[in-house]
Amino acid sequence: MSDDRGNFSFLEQYDERVAHLAQQAEHYVHSDPDSCMFKLRLMVETMARTLATLQLPHLVSSDLGSMLGGLQRSGVLPRRQADGMHAIRRDGNAAVHGSPTPVPTAMRRLHDAHRLSAWFAKMVKRGAKIQPGDFVPPDPPAPLNAVAQAINAKVDELEQSIEERRHLTREALLMFGPSENVDDVVRRTREELDALDKVAAAAGEPEIDADFVALVMAMDLEQLEEHADHGGESRRARRAAEHRLDAIKEHLDRREQEFLVERTWLMEQRGEV
Amino acid sequence: MPDPGFATLWFLAARTMAIAGSDVHVLQEATGGLYAQAILGLSEEECREAKSPSSIDNRTLIDCLAGVRALPREDAEKLLTGIMMVCYADRAMTPLEVRWASMVASAIELSGDDFQRCCVNARVIAGMLRPKGDGEDGA
Repeated sequence: MSDDRGNFSFLEQYDERVAHLAQQAEHYVHSDPDSCMFKLRLMVETMARTLATLQLPHLVSSDLGSMLGGLQRSGVLPRRQADGMHAIRRDGNAAVHGSPTPVPTAMRRLHDAHRLSAWFAKMVKRGAKIQPGDFVPPDPPAPLNAVAQAINAKVDELEQSIEERRHLTREALLMFGPSENVDDVVRRTREELDALDKVAAAAGEPEIDADFVALVMAMDLEQLEEHADHGGESRRARRAAEHRLDAIKEHLDRREQEFLVERTWLMEQRGEV
Repeated sequence: MPDPGFATLWFLAARTMAIAGSDVHVLQEATGGLYAQAILGLSEEECREAKSPSSIDNRTLIDCLAGVRALPREDAEKLLTGIMMVCYADRAMTPLEVRWASMVASAIELSGDDFQRCCVNARVIAGMLRPKGDGEDGA
């Protein structure tokens, strides 16, 4: 439950700076929604920098988008929290670049920030019992007239439809569906791949064998490394490609040896050798 | 269970390639869906439906290979190009990536030349998708 100091007072004991920014954003949400968004964006950036300092120090000097991407890929930042942070980053950037923020949008992001704050507090103080309470939308300084209420309702409806649209688009783009357990699928697929790898070593492929594939891939990767955008130098790229190819060949040879050992053992069991 | 559709085959094959790689961050990226919509011509709705439990749950890699084998040649080559793009996204390769590429290419019964052509296309797309390596979409 929020107290008379607002929705973010619980955060003061975990990170004073983040709490202060959140409280400023809350203060401005009705009177100056653009400033509210500036503060929320800064709050998210501070949270991301703190997490990066703790977990991925090489990202600390990156821009916010890169920091969030790095934290997400490394598993520090779950998908739901990343979505909330990106939404604040996006609307904060829009406000910075002169696009006016409607009050309902700022309120929606303030609500996101409240949810993110509870998660962030858990991240910086492991094991702490966090009690953020329910988010209570701050009251406007003066009651809104009917026209303003109607406009706000329309903006909120539009905002909701955009979020739903964005959510659907993202679901379409990602490799996994929202109901899938990624860890389970990864584990099961790796097991299947390992099994197929063993079978292929015994049976071989009818058309395109793994040695040939490895060679083509190594040449392609060498070309990618040499690409000017990656700053690759030819000899270094070639060495890297040769190194990769050697590692693959070693693996394929090992699989072949395992197969031969197994076949010999089976023949011995049948008394054929 | 009905045969998996093209979209489900794509997501199965693409994420298997991503899982085969050691750098699993590709799994969290939008590359798979972008390729599906821009190159394979699948709609957003088809992409979502392809990953619904009724479409993709309990599908094995053998199902995937069998489905790929039955695809029209052009679709199958586009699918292979896409999974090679996923493979090249982190500019590295692992033995399991090599094996999966070999299995899919063999299921399609590609010639060596055709396989190399698909790989060149994949390399060009991979170079365009992540030209600066780790960059994100701005501030």
